Amino acid sequence: MREKPLVDLSQYLPILLFLGVALAISGAFVVLPMIVNRLTGTAKPNPDKLAEYECGFPAFEDSRAQFDVRFYLVAILFIVFDLEAAFLYPWAVSLGGIGLTGWASMMLFLVELGIGFAYAWKKGALDWE
Amino acid sequence: MSMIASLALTLPELILSTGALLLLLVAAWGGDGSSRLISWASVALLAIAGLSLGCANGVAFDGLYKADAFSNFAKALVYAAAAVSILIAPRFFEARGAMRAEYPILILLSSVGMGMMVSATDLLTLYVGLELQSLAAYVLASFMRRDSRSAEAGLKYFVLGALASGILLYGISLLYGFTGTTQFGGVATALGDGISHGELFGLVFVMAGLAFKISAVPFHMWTPDVYEGAPTPVTAFFASAPKVAAMALLVRIAVDAMGPATSSWQQIVIFAALASTILGGVAAIGQVNIKRLLAYSSINNVGFALFGLAAGTPDGVAATMSYMAVYIVMTLGSFLCVLQMRNAAGDAVEDIASLSGLSRTRPGLAAAFAIFMFSLAGIPPLFGFWPKFLVFDALVAIGLWPLAMIGIATSVIGAFYYLKIVKTMYFDEPAPAYAPSASRMENGLIALSAVAVSPLGYLAIPLLGALSMAAARALF
Repeated sequence: MREKPLVDLSQYLPILLFLGVALAISGAFVVLPMIVNRLTGTAKPNPDKLAEYECGFPAFEDSRAQFDVRFYLVAILFIVFDLEAAFLYPWAVSLGGIGLTGWASMMLFLVELGIGFAYAWKKGALDWE
Repeated sequence: MSMIASLALTLPELILSTGALLLLLVAAWGGDGSSRLISWASVALLAIAGLSLGCANGVAFDGLYKADAFSNFAKALVYAAAAVSILIAPRFFEARGAMRAEYPILILLSSVGMGMMVSATDLLTLYVGLELQSLAAYVLASFMRRDSRSAEAGLKYFVLGALASGILLYGISLLYGFTGTTQFGGVATALGDGISHGELFGLVFVMAGLAFKISAVPFHMWTPDVYEGAPTPVTAFFASAPKVAAMALLVRIAVDAMGPATSSWQQIVIFAALASTILGGVAAIGQVNIKRLLAYSSINNVGFALFGLAAGTPDGVAATMSYMAVYIVMTLGSFLCVLQMRNAAGDAVEDIASLSGLSRTRPGLAAAFAIFMFSLAGIPPLFGFWPKFLVFDALVAIGLWPLAMIGIATSVIGAFYYLKIVKTMYFDEPAPAYAPSASRMENGLIALSAVAVSPLGYLAIPLLGALSMAAARALF
């Protein structure tokens, strides 16, 4: 008698198919423009065209560049309120099930965040200069 | 259990967190000029929270939080140490123009976290409490942010603390994965029918993460640097309140959640205890900075407290809790003396050589300092001897007398550097005198703690013994 496999791999078939399709399509997106480009005769490389594109920043520079510390402050404040939104969504969806306790807990959370926000505002964390 | 009943059990935390939020608003609008007012209000809040401890007993939030004799005992110690850390701060920071209204608030928030830690009966409550305590502590370590040593201390503490939190969290995830629950009781039930490899790994990682928080060897390396760099009132705080909270947390998780696996964690605790006492004793000998020396002394003392837990019996746990109670008095007293070390210009000096001949320039301070040193060394007439006796007694009671003998030998090594300080103060040629003490409150606190660890402290043994035994009984 054949031994029972540890994990039934057949249930992962859709993922395998998905990966295959993704690989095929993304390969086509890379290769097709290059072929079309050659065939239509628009391939006229120059140094700027061949340079890497890195979201508008120079691709190669010293990695120890200094950032203004104010960026971090803004980023941290952003994360706080971003997370707040991430908590609010599932809370809003399940509000019917969690009742008054759930509602009160979230209101308390918002009040606490509000106090923190008021503190940051009063301390001038939001002023750029 | 209803929501209201749960909230009633968490009354100390509610008082502290609500108070801290209100004081934060006062700090924002009142500015640093309101720092004195906020300090006194914070001490009052800690006192009220301490008074509200009395009758709380029960499990809240479906087993996430527990108020019992054990948590109340630990919380009382934590609040007292936090209050002293707030009281000694204003004069230190004002001399450097760095007093800010946020200092007492950060201590309050840290105290809320420590309250959650000692009351946690669920791995996630434990983690949230620990992080709340740690995040406030990182900021406190770098409180004098223009001072490079303070900033360095904060950064080191943060990076290594984050690593330890990661290790702890990894252990928690393993325990959850292999036991299917995060509740201490559930983990204990799962461990009851034999411990699997996965559970063992989880246990080891959790122990390693917590050993970092109590700065037990081999996870102690941050302690001397952080204690030296942080402002002295903050160092006094680090050496007292978080140590008690983390030790109580370790005791609770070891007994409550991992009780059936005692033989597994006992080895770890024994190793950490031995290594801490030996390294804390030997490495302190070459120190020239008093704060570094006291950091090694705290590592040494944590090792002795761990001996009690290593016994794994109610007597052992009671001995550990008694040890922590006496330890915070001794350590706060020592740091209060360090705060008095200011040269004629009023700048803080930290090298041990400047203590030379203190008995002739400041006899009272020298006597108090000597009492704390003798007591930390565990020399019999002083009260520091008693908890050491208790932990070794607990070890001998379960037949671990070789361990007790090694422990006593290391305490002799430790006595060397404590006695060296006494010798420097009493027998060396006087160094330039310190500036006279300007604070009656600090003198009072020094005198109070010196009396508490003097032989008069033995009068407190019945009370301390009863309270710590009740605390230990709550776990078993």
